[in-house]
Amino acid sequence: MTAAGRAGAGSRRATLLVLPAVVPVVVVVGAALTSAVLLSLGLTPLVGRPELSLDAWRATELGTSIRLSLAIAAGATAVATVVGLCLALAVTAGARRSRLLATLSSLTIPVPHLVGAAAMGLLLADAGFLPRLLGIAPADWPALVGGRWWIAVGAEYAWKESAFIALVVAGVLSSRVASYTETAALLGAGRWARFRHVTLPLAAPALGASAAVSFVYTLGSYEVAALLGRPSPEPLPVLAVRLFTSIDLAARPQAAAVAVTTSALGLVAVLVSLRSLRRLAAEQ
Amino acid sequence: MSAPLLVSRLGSRLGRGALAFWLVLPLVPLLLWAAADRWSAPALLPQAWGTTGLAEARAAGAGAAAVRSAVLGTAVAVLATPLGALAGRALTSGALRAPGLVFAVLLSPLVLPPFAVALGLDVLLLRLRVPAEVGLVLLLTVAAIPYTTVVMRAAYAAHDRHHDEEARLLGASAWRVVRSVHLPLLAPAVAGAAFLAFLVGWSDYVVTLLVGGGRLVTLPLLVGAAASATGNDAQVAVLALSAVLPPVALLVVIGSIGRRARR
Repeated sequence: MTAAGRAGAGSRRATLLVLPAVVPVVVVVGAALTSAVLLSLGLTPLVGRPELSLDAWRATELGTSIRLSLAIAAGATAVATVVGLCLALAVTAGARRSRLLATLSSLTIPVPHLVGAAAMGLLLADAGFLPRLLGIAPADWPALVGGRWWIAVGAEYAWKESAFIALVVAGVLSSRVASYTETAALLGAGRWARFRHVTLPLAAPALGASAAVSFVYTLGSYEVAALLGRPSPEPLPVLAVRLFTSIDLAARPQAAAVAVTTSALGLVAVLVSLRSLRRLAAEQ
Repeated sequence: MSAPLLVSRLGSRLGRGALAFWLVLPLVPLLLWAAADRWSAPALLPQAWGTTGLAEARAAGAGAAAVRSAVLGTAVAVLATPLGALAGRALTSGALRAPGLVFAVLLSPLVLPPFAVALGLDVLLLRLRVPAEVGLVLLLTVAAIPYTTVVMRAAYAAHDRHHDEEARLLGASAWRVVRSVHLPLLAPAVAGAAFLAFLVGWSDYVVTLLVGGGRLVTLPLLVGAAASATGNDAQVAVLALSAVLPPVALLVVIGSIGRRARR
């Protein structure tokens, strides 16, 4: 067999190996998005004649929901990034207590967001555990659950995602940071200078990537906002699910329009963060 | 010890304490409520301990729901793990055309909100008369493929191909190489990938809600239903804990597999 022939056979074999995973992904993702777009344009109604229309896009209050969803995702991700970085630094610092912190952090990972939401409800409601701990009467406690600022929703995402960000960043830091900081310390760099010029640049790519994953996840996640949020205004996933499960079949195209909007926002967020991560890599 | 060093030691201890508090605090009321019969405000601890929550959770059908969740998680793990392993092997073989594009396609379910995919596909599944259970397993398997692919790709990238060549030279068949060389060496990664895939099926809420139409009651659906009602905090806590403890136990088992493999 010639070298080119062998390469061809290898490439065919590799393609055959990857197809069982690629085919279902392409079919499901492609069919779901196509179907959602067609439904939102009125081309595949469950009852009645297909007719191209933008009614579903005009009927829903998309603007408010988009702003709300972006604000929740941005706020929760910002807190999760700061806490996650602190956790990663504490876990990789090498002290005796960092083992315990690492275990606590990794135990948070398999907790489903839904369970996290139930726990945050028991913690932050006006008769919850935190006001009891602080000795504040239910009447004086601010409405964190179902209140104006979506505090309980943001807190749940920040809590779960900080552990995820810490896991990713600690993985990078534990393998590389020790030798660099030792060298910097030997060269006379102070604590802050070592953090600013050694640790932070090393952690930045993983921190940025995991923060982007958190942001996109939070943007498209339903259950936490549905359980701990207020009835109105609604974030995009809550709006979509309510419209989709309503008995009014005419609301389904509107639900599809919300789903398409959320997917597009997630895609834009990923592309923007990929671009800035690439720029970051080029600068270093 | 100098004063600045003492301050920095104290600061780091306080910081660690605050971080541990942040991680643990949300789980404390969950544990307390699960064993509380009566716990009215403003008492810091329950006034009466007991198993009311457990009894209520069992009456709500927690047992059958947990079995359904376990079956769903297992089905997703059984399907998504080998698919991710095959893809991970192909992606690291160096023989695949456009590996970057293929990897991006396999990761695409991570970018798209699960509710959007479920909502789009639900209409199609209804039209094609696909049973809800089949559609659900298909959707969640696709949602799990990114995780299994990432884990298995990393494992195959670190895998030393010389072991395979030696085994082949000694006369082992291709299948024998997979069984006697790949599986033992990659066992921790396979276990990790399967765990993540299981978690996707076990803890899914919104896809089951949309595709199952409320008729397929898994453990997360019970947690959601209980948590959106009021005055049943003990039941919510028991249901939530029973959704967390099996994966945590699995994680411990998988950690021990990893340690044994490294030895």
